[in-house]
Amino acid sequence: MRLTLDRRDGAGMAGLFLSPLLAVALTLASSIVVFWLLGQDPWRALNVYFLMPVSDFWGVQEVAVKATPLVLIAVGLALCFRSNNWNIGAEGQFLIGAICGGGIAVWTQGWGGPWVLPLMLVAGMAGGALYALIPAVLKTRLRVNEILVSLMLVYVAELLLDWLVRGPWRDPFGFNMPQTITFAPEATLPLLFDGGRMNLGTVITLVVVVVATVVMARTLKGFEIKLVGEAPRAARFAGFDDKKLTLTVFAVSGALAGLAGVMEAAGTVRQLLPGFSPGYGFTAIIVAFLGRLNPVGCLIAGVFIAITFIGGENAQIILRLPRDMTLVFQGMLLFYILACDTLILYRPRLVPRRAPA
Amino acid sequence: MTLSRRNVLAGASALAASTALPMAARANDPLGVGFVLIGPVGDFGWSTMHDVGRRRMEEVLGDAVTTTQVEAVAPPDFDRVVTTLARAGTRLIFTTSFSYFQPTLRMAEQFPDVMFENATGTATRDNLAIYNARFYEGRYIQGVIAALKSQTKQIGYVAAFPVPEVIHAINTVMRGAWSVDPEMRIRVVWANAWFNPGVEADAARALIDQGCDVLCQHTDSPAPLQLAEERGIHGFGQASDMTRFAPNAHLTSSINNWGDYYAARAQAMIDGTWAPADTWGGLDSGMFQLAPFTNLDPEQASHAERVVAGLRDGSIDPFAGPIVNQAGEEVIAEGESLDDDAIRSMNYFYQGIDVSMPG
Repeated sequence: MRLTLDRRDGAGMAGLFLSPLLAVALTLASSIVVFWLLGQDPWRALNVYFLMPVSDFWGVQEVAVKATPLVLIAVGLALCFRSNNWNIGAEGQFLIGAICGGGIAVWTQGWGGPWVLPLMLVAGMAGGALYALIPAVLKTRLRVNEILVSLMLVYVAELLLDWLVRGPWRDPFGFNMPQTITFAPEATLPLLFDGGRMNLGTVITLVVVVVATVVMARTLKGFEIKLVGEAPRAARFAGFDDKKLTLTVFAVSGALAGLAGVMEAAGTVRQLLPGFSPGYGFTAIIVAFLGRLNPVGCLIAGVFIAITFIGGENAQIILRLPRDMTLVFQGMLLFYILACDTLILYRPRLVPRRAPA
Repeated sequence: MTLSRRNVLAGASALAASTALPMAARANDPLGVGFVLIGPVGDFGWSTMHDVGRRRMEEVLGDAVTTTQVEAVAPPDFDRVVTTLARAGTRLIFTTSFSYFQPTLRMAEQFPDVMFENATGTATRDNLAIYNARFYEGRYIQGVIAALKSQTKQIGYVAAFPVPEVIHAINTVMRGAWSVDPEMRIRVVWANAWFNPGVEADAARALIDQGCDVLCQHTDSPAPLQLAEERGIHGFGQASDMTRFAPNAHLTSSINNWGDYYAARAQAMIDGTWAPADTWGGLDSGMFQLAPFTNLDPEQASHAERVVAGLRDGSIDPFAGPIVNQAGEEVIAEGESLDDDAIRSMNYFYQGIDVSMPG
């Protein structure tokens, strides 16, 4: 006997909307069991995890700070993945964006003006886009696997950042610690409200979500992206150039990841240091799939993942649960979404093993 | 019910009682103490030992404190974690890394009613204390023991980052070694991580291949010591007693012991006597201890014991002049001694140490 998966007919729409909801519901149900086994009151625990982070305006702002880079990167990745281009290296593009923008902040320290911040944002986007074009060019010209190249370029970016903050860009008064100076006010994104950390980056991200939604739903480019992804042969007959599209989507997703990087550097951290990203570029891959590769979906999924991050911190503080609980949570969520996707789209069937010839 | 004077009085006293009660209860409430850790609690090194210290504090103070610990807090998340701790009623917060020093300064300003303590920081404020241990005393002893054990006269040093804490440790190891044998030399490999067992083991391998036969480590995992065991040479443990990882290679370990300090500081909060302090405790303070010497013959062990006693009673001063740096400049003259600020900001190697500053 062996297990096969047969495609179900007409499960497309159900899979699209039902699967993430079902996955979240199953995660919640499982976590109730886990909390109960840990000797916690499950309702109190769920309250701490999911409601406390958004129970006041300060908390909402913190969720926005955490969700902003995730959503921005995920929107770019969604465009890529929809067209069957696999950019796994958003983390690297994020870091390069932070390096390009942060470099300007370090360089202009002491003599900058109001032009510094816009220049940083543009440099961050350009850096991210160019960095993402490396795997795209190698794919279109030499047919090199873009998954491997983009992934391995993450380590190159990490090491470059490492070298910069230990060597040429090291804060001269930082006791040799690997970090740059704290950016000057003209090199930081303005905060939106007193007493919170939400900055202009959140607004920019919301604008990007709207633009991406319109592009995907209403423009020829959006149609091209979807068609190339779902029916590459048909797209070629229709006269779309899939190589040019590969370059375009990689550049766009790289630019958005780079923008996220420079906004994180200029908005939240205000300096460059190794360990500056807690893996936003990788988490954004989860966000993109949880959001069904749809810009608005990415926004919802990004906010949800941000809440579980902060809920995990709250659980450590209020319930004294270990950090591992958060990782278990995120693991369960991914597991359930993959399982739901598979079981909604495919029917498992046991078939007798063919007798060996 | 009519409003009589008696009713009003009764109401007033009830009101007074109801407001007084929470006040009284608050005074008896346990003190909330928070810990922000740079690494996971299971790193077997730095963060683990802070966790051990936290539990020791709970043991000593019992119901008088409740503790909260947040692990592996990345720099972008620091402000939020501290704000949440403060809002949850935590009144004393230990931030256990130099990487948190600047952020802690910022948060201390934002929460004047919360008392902060930063491990290995460099300045105090009204509500910010700093604390560290004089680990260099252990390094001096390591240098002495290494010189007694080494055949090749070469010490290998697996270092994390070229921060003053590591630089003065390397200098002090050599001072200890030269007190036994002026021919001793040192090689350093920078692992660029406090905790990365793979890289630490690679660094140790490179040092052994270059002829070092005693390893010192300024990184947190047992990997370098385990490699020393595998290759049949000797080494020292870091942060906790690492004898069990290398029964034949282990010579001694510096054991971080924060618990008594944590208990004393929390007790001071409860008594209302907490004040910002700059604590830098040596061997005599108990803030760190040495694991029992292993794999030393009785003569070597008694030599090491004499050095320990000398450091404790102050007759041995690892930073006594004259000190000459690599460039040949005299940093401090004979008869004088470096003060704490000079040690804390040390940014040069001594003459005779053939190691260059990376970066």
